[in-house]
Amino acid sequence: METALHVENLEKGYKRRIRKPGLMGAFQSMFSAKTEELKAVKGISFSIQRGERVGLIGENGAGKSTTLKMLTGIIVPTGGEVEVLGLVPWKQRRQLALNIGVVFGQRPQLLWDIPVRETFRLLKAMYHIPNEVYEVTYNEAVRRLGLEPLLNTPVRLLSLGQRMRCDLAASLLHAPAVAFLDEPTIGLDLTVKEQVREYIRDMQKQFGTTLLITTHDLKDITEVCDRLLLLDKGKLLFDGSLKAFEKRFANESRIVAELHKPATPASIKKLASDIKRHGGKIALSDGYRLVLEYRKEGAAPALTQILLKSQKVADLTLEKTDIETIVTKIYRKPLADKMKS
Amino acid sequence: MRPLQPALTFTESLASYGSFFVRCVKGSFAYRATTITNLLTTATAYSITIMIWRQVYTQNSALTIPKQQMFVYLLLAGCINYAMGMSIEFRIGNRIRTGQIATDLLKPVDFQISQGIQSISDGFFNGAMGIIVFLCGFLVFGTQVFPASASALGLAVVSFLLSFMIMYGIGFLFVQGAFYTYSGYGIFASRNALQLTFSGVSAPLDYYPPLLRTITEWLPFRHTIYTPISIYLGWAKDNEAYSLLLQQTAWVLALFMVGRLIMKQAIKQLEVQGG
Repeated sequence: METALHVENLEKGYKRRIRKPGLMGAFQSMFSAKTEELKAVKGISFSIQRGERVGLIGENGAGKSTTLKMLTGIIVPTGGEVEVLGLVPWKQRRQLALNIGVVFGQRPQLLWDIPVRETFRLLKAMYHIPNEVYEVTYNEAVRRLGLEPLLNTPVRLLSLGQRMRCDLAASLLHAPAVAFLDEPTIGLDLTVKEQVREYIRDMQKQFGTTLLITTHDLKDITEVCDRLLLLDKGKLLFDGSLKAFEKRFANESRIVAELHKPATPASIKKLASDIKRHGGKIALSDGYRLVLEYRKEGAAPALTQILLKSQKVADLTLEKTDIETIVTKIYRKPLADKMKS
Repeated sequence: MRPLQPALTFTESLASYGSFFVRCVKGSFAYRATTITNLLTTATAYSITIMIWRQVYTQNSALTIPKQQMFVYLLLAGCINYAMGMSIEFRIGNRIRTGQIATDLLKPVDFQISQGIQSISDGFFNGAMGIIVFLCGFLVFGTQVFPASASALGLAVVSFLLSFMIMYGIGFLFVQGAFYTYSGYGIFASRNALQLTFSGVSAPLDYYPPLLRTITEWLPFRHTIYTPISIYLGWAKDNEAYSLLLQQTAWVLALFMVGRLIMKQAIKQLEVQGG
């Protein structure tokens, strides 16, 4: 398989002028040259093959967007190497631009004062899109993303959701070899999010586009991607398939019970001691609701039996930890602990 | 899987820039009210300048430039300054400050050329407005507004186009500072102050003190206003006119190349913060 993207020890540092608080501080800062160096990305390395669908996640300030900006050639790294489609992004930016599509959810690429249709026509000329490709990508976008009523509206009159849909369509009109989508579903309602994910998936299938998506909505990842990169404070914490991610971090399952009557403290104490032998613990006991957590594979039948003997259960569900829960837990841990897990 | 697209050929690039120009012109029609208000304010300001000079001529008969030619000079200077009064510093400065410049750099077009096209499209619209003002001047000053000769008109048109490119070159050079300061306003104010002082927009350079006049000869600003008008009015004839056109061309090339070199370095400073 051909490599679409290769990143080696990539770094980006910024110098920030130190500003003192208050009015006097603001005045003094005008004459002070004190700066501090911040590292947004700290030596990350990874490769992505042509046609892969990769999600890049991390908390705010983890370095996701900075990484994307270096990969697209907008900003220059302070260390390391990057190659996208065999080109060095910040040195061969224009040639790379012909072959990539980019969505920055918070920065639309559409021309502000003219109708959407005009921007699409401009992009056709700008990217020199062959008619047969444009016919497919344009018609698909208009049909799948419901753009027909928006085409003659100037961009500045569109709502955030409408603009996002148009922006996504604009970035994929030239069927790029690699698409960098930074928060492509930001500001969209649930139905439109679904529509957008389906559209991205199908376009990827049709043109074999390599996808790199950053998002805070993990459904974008689980429904579109099959590989995950997890960034934390500028470091790459995880790189692997979604399954490997779940296997590595989702080591806790839950049994959730709704009780006929609230559990007594004595019965809870006994239950806790009984399930401990099977690797279980009580995660929550809140009146009619009781949640057991366990790590050991195959422990569910024994734990359920003990629970049914201990309490009058009205309803029972087994829950496997979903990616969103895992990621939230990872974000809450200090970095050193995360690296150990 | 679609094969990678090679770099655009010259013809493909031209088609791309042509399409961009058309969209920019369309975009400039979006703010008609602002444009008309701006036009009226500028026309009022230049009418006042002409009235001041009328008063100067009433009190001083020893001025070397004939009164009617002086009024035409001021009228033309006002029209050119309005047509070329591009606020490239605001446009690019704002995009740098907000990070919106990211989307410009992601396009497969040359940033310097595409911004130039945007400026031409603004100038195209403002120029049309400037011509209307000039025609109003015809109603006031009569045939005095006509050029010295047909050849003077031809050379002046070339000179006007070159002056536009010089103006853009200066603006583009100055706006590189916004990559470091993240603000276009201070840069615009500095460039505008130099433009108003050294271009001859409020008075022909012939009336400048010797030292100031010498300084103007070393700067490109004089070629944006004074040079094209002096050709139009026949003050610079034949060889002198051609020499001025050559000087203008040299400034266009120099500004283009220096602007390009500085931009390459300045872009490396870019920090696009936030998602």
